[in-house]
Amino acid sequence: MGWSVNDTLFMAVKNMLDWVNVLFILYMIGYSTFLFLAVVIGSSELYKKRQQEKLKNTLLQDYYIPISIVVPGYNEEVTVVETVRSLLALEYKLYEIIVVDDGSKDATSQKLIEAFHMHPIRRPIHRKIPCQPAEFIYETTAQKVPLTLIRKKNGGKADALNMGINACRYPYFICMDADSVLQYDSLSKIVRPILEQENVVAVGGVIRSCNGATLERGRVVDYHLPNNILACMQVLEYDRSFLASRILFDKFNGSLIISGAFGLFKKDVVIAAGGYDHSTMGEDMELVVKLHEYCVTNDMPYAIKYATDAICWTQVPERFRDLRKQRKRWHLGLFQSMWKHRVMLANPKFGPVSFISYFYFLIYELLSPFIEIFGVITMILAFTVDLINVPFMVLFFLIYALYNCVLTLTAFFARIQTIDLKITFMDVVKAVLLCFFEVCILRFFMAFVRATAFIGYKKKKLNWGRIERQKINIK
Amino acid sequence: MKVEILIYAYLAVCAAMIGFNIVCIFIFRAKDKRLNHYSQRFIRIVHQTIEDGTVTEAHCKYLSKTLKKIKNLMAFDKTLEELFAQNPQQIKDYIRQLSSVFTYLTLEYKKKSEIQAAYFPYIIHKYKVFQGQPISIVMDTILELVYSPSLYVRENALQAIYSIGSVECTMNALWILNESSYYHHPKMITDGLLNFSGDTKQLGEWLWDHFERFSNRMQRVIVDYFRFSSPDHQERILELLTSQCVDDEIAYSCIRYLGKFTYPPAYPVLTDIIEKHQHDQWIYTAITASALANYPGDRTVAILKELLHSPNWHVRFNASQSLMALGLYYTDMIDVFEGRDRYASEIMRYRFDQKNMKEKEAVGIGLVSK
Repeated sequence: MGWSVNDTLFMAVKNMLDWVNVLFILYMIGYSTFLFLAVVIGSSELYKKRQQEKLKNTLLQDYYIPISIVVPGYNEEVTVVETVRSLLALEYKLYEIIVVDDGSKDATSQKLIEAFHMHPIRRPIHRKIPCQPAEFIYETTAQKVPLTLIRKKNGGKADALNMGINACRYPYFICMDADSVLQYDSLSKIVRPILEQENVVAVGGVIRSCNGATLERGRVVDYHLPNNILACMQVLEYDRSFLASRILFDKFNGSLIISGAFGLFKKDVVIAAGGYDHSTMGEDMELVVKLHEYCVTNDMPYAIKYATDAICWTQVPERFRDLRKQRKRWHLGLFQSMWKHRVMLANPKFGPVSFISYFYFLIYELLSPFIEIFGVITMILAFTVDLINVPFMVLFFLIYALYNCVLTLTAFFARIQTIDLKITFMDVVKAVLLCFFEVCILRFFMAFVRATAFIGYKKKKLNWGRIERQKINIK
Repeated sequence: MKVEILIYAYLAVCAAMIGFNIVCIFIFRAKDKRLNHYSQRFIRIVHQTIEDGTVTEAHCKYLSKTLKKIKNLMAFDKTLEELFAQNPQQIKDYIRQLSSVFTYLTLEYKKKSEIQAAYFPYIIHKYKVFQGQPISIVMDTILELVYSPSLYVRENALQAIYSIGSVECTMNALWILNESSYYHHPKMITDGLLNFSGDTKQLGEWLWDHFERFSNRMQRVIVDYFRFSSPDHQERILELLTSQCVDDEIAYSCIRYLGKFTYPPAYPVLTDIIEKHQHDQWIYTAITASALANYPGDRTVAILKELLHSPNWHVRFNASQSLMALGLYYTDMIDVFEGRDRYASEIMRYRFDQKNMKEKEAVGIGLVSK
C-alpha cells in the first residue's frame, strides 16, 4: 500500500522534529551543566573567600600600586561632579583621575572646572594610540589626588578611553563609566590579583546594581532590593549570569569580558595591542578578546583575572525601553567582537579560551536568542500537527524553570551571605517571586530583543547608547 | 539517560545549596554571637589578671589550653583589640608576659591546616608578641610557613618574622623566597622589609654580605629596600652600578637610589650613562635624567636641556621635570622656547604652566601668602 503525500509530509516533519528534539536536548544539557558548574563553583569560591578573610588569610598590609582612573563621559553634567567626588573619597593613596569629555553638548566640562577649581594647562599628550585631538585640558593638584579634564573632539566611547590611556601617568589604568560609583575599597581589592600572580594584564571588577542601595562615601549604608520590578529582576540576573559564570571562567584564565563600568588594565600591553577599537559597539569585550589574541599570538605569558570583592555600583535600567537599548548594544558588541576575533574559534593554540569560553559565548550568548526563538516556533509547529505531548512539555518547562530559579536563588543568597549585606524578609519574598518572572518572561523578551538587535545597527555604530538614569542615591 | 533525570540531579544539588546557604546564615549568626560571648569572658579574665598585677602560671596554663582552639584564639584577638584601644601600654606589658603561652601554641598551630595555621603568625605580628626575643622553635615553625604555596600564608609568616626582628630569621625567609618557585610580588618583599623591627644596620650588612648569592630579582628587591630605608649604601650601590655584569633592572634601581640620595662621586657615572645610552637604550637615559634632579650645576642643566631634544617622549618628560626641580626660571629656558624644537618647548611650557598652577593653588589654600 503506497503512502499519501500527507503521510510523507507528516513523516518528514516528524523526522525533522525528532532531530530538533535531539539538538534541543543537547543544547539544554550543555546550558544546564554550565549554569550548574558556574553557580556551584562560584558559590563555593565566595564561601572560601569569606572563610579566608575570617582567618586573616588575606593581604593585611596596604600595598599601593599606582593607578590612573579614566572616566570617559558624554553629556554627563548631571552625574559627573558626584562621580569625581566619590572617586576622591576612595580609600587608596596612589592614583590619579582623568576625565575625558568626548565633545559633550551639555556643560559636563564646565561643571567639573567650577566644582574643582581647575586650571587650564597646555599639556602635550603622547598619542600612542590614535584618537581625536584634545580641544582643551584642565588640571588641579589641590585635591587629594591629581585631577585632569581633557575635552576632546567627539569620537565615541572607545576613542575617549584611548585618549585617557594616552594621558595616563601610571602603569595600570582603570576604566569606568561616568555614572557609576566605586566602593571605598575597590582599588585596593582590584589590584590584589596583580600582587598575587605574575603577568596579570587585566582584572575585572564586580558590577552591582545600586538601584535600591544608599551609598555614603563609597559605603553601602542601606540596602534592599529595588522596588522597580525590572531592576529587581536584573539584580537576580546579574548574580546568576555574571558573578557565577565569571568566577568559573576565571578558573582557567578564560574570561572574555570585563565590564566597561569597572576594569583594570596594564597600560603597556593595552597600547601594544592597539587600545580600544572605536569601530565596535562592545569596546569593553573587544579589548579583552583582543588581549587574549595578542598575548597568545606573541607567546606572552598572561592572565586575565576577576576580583570578586572589587565592587562598582551602577544603575541598571528601570524602563523596558532602556533595557532593550542596552541589551541590543551588548549583543551587537558581542557579535562584532566574536566576528573580529574569529581566529579563536576551535583553535588549539588558545586552549580552553577557545574551546570553552569562545564556544560558550558563541552558542549560549550570541546564538541563544535565535535558538530559543527557533525552539518556540518548533513547538508551535509540533503542536499544530499534533506531534507534541503537551502535559510532558509543560512539565518539562516547569522543571527547567524551577531549575533556573533554584540556581538564581543559590547565586543570590551566596552573594548576599558572603558580603555581609543585610536584607529583609520582604527582599527574600521578592527574590523568590521575581526569579520565576525573570526566567519565564523576561528571558524570552530579551531573547527577542537580542535576536532583532541587528536591525538598523549601522546607523548607531558610534553613538554612546544613552540610557535614562536616575541620580545614584549618595548621602 | 533521560534528560530530566540529569536536571533532577542538578536540582537536588542546587536545592541542597540553598539549604546550605540558609543553614550558613544561622551558623554564621550563631558563631558571631558565640565569638562575642567568648570575647566577653576573656575580657573579664584579662581584666582580672591585669588588676592582680602579675600573670600567674595558672593563667598561662588556662590560656595555653583554651587558645589551642582557633575560635578561642579569634575571641582572644577580639578581646585584645578592644582592650588595646583603651590602654595600649597595659596590654603590651600583658602580652610580653605571655611568651611561654605563645611558644606552646606555636607547636599546637603547627599541627593545624594551613589556613588555620596562618592565623597564628597574624597574631604574632599584630601584637608583636616575640619582638626582640627570637625563640628558635617559634622561628623554625614560622619559617616553615614561608614555604607555603598560599601567598597569604607566606605573607602572614613574613610579617611575623619582620615583627620579631631577627636578622638571621629574616635572611632565611629571604632565602626561601629566593629559591621558591611560587611568585611573591617584589613590592611586597620590599615594603615588607621596611617593617623589619630589628637592627636594620645589621640587616643591611648581612644583605650585602650575601648579595651575590641572591637571584637578580631578589637583588633588585634588596636595592629597592635600601632606596626606601637608608642613605648609608651609596658607595656600594655605586660600585654595583659600575660593575661589569650588572643586570639592567638592578642598574635602574641603583640609578634611582643615587637619584634619591645625592652622592657626588656618582655624578660622572650618571653623565656617562646618558652619553653611552642616549641613542640606544632610552630607559637608562630617562631614569638618569630623573636622577640628575638632585645634582644641580651648569653641566647638569646643559645635559638636561640637550635631553629635551631627545626623540623619546619619556626622556623629554623626565628631563623637563628635573629642570623644574632644579629651580630654573622662565628666562633660563628662553633658548628652548625660542628654539626650533616644538616638542621641547611644548613640554617645558607645560612644566611652567604646572608650576604656576601649583603656586596659585598654594595661595588659594593658604599655603603661600598672596
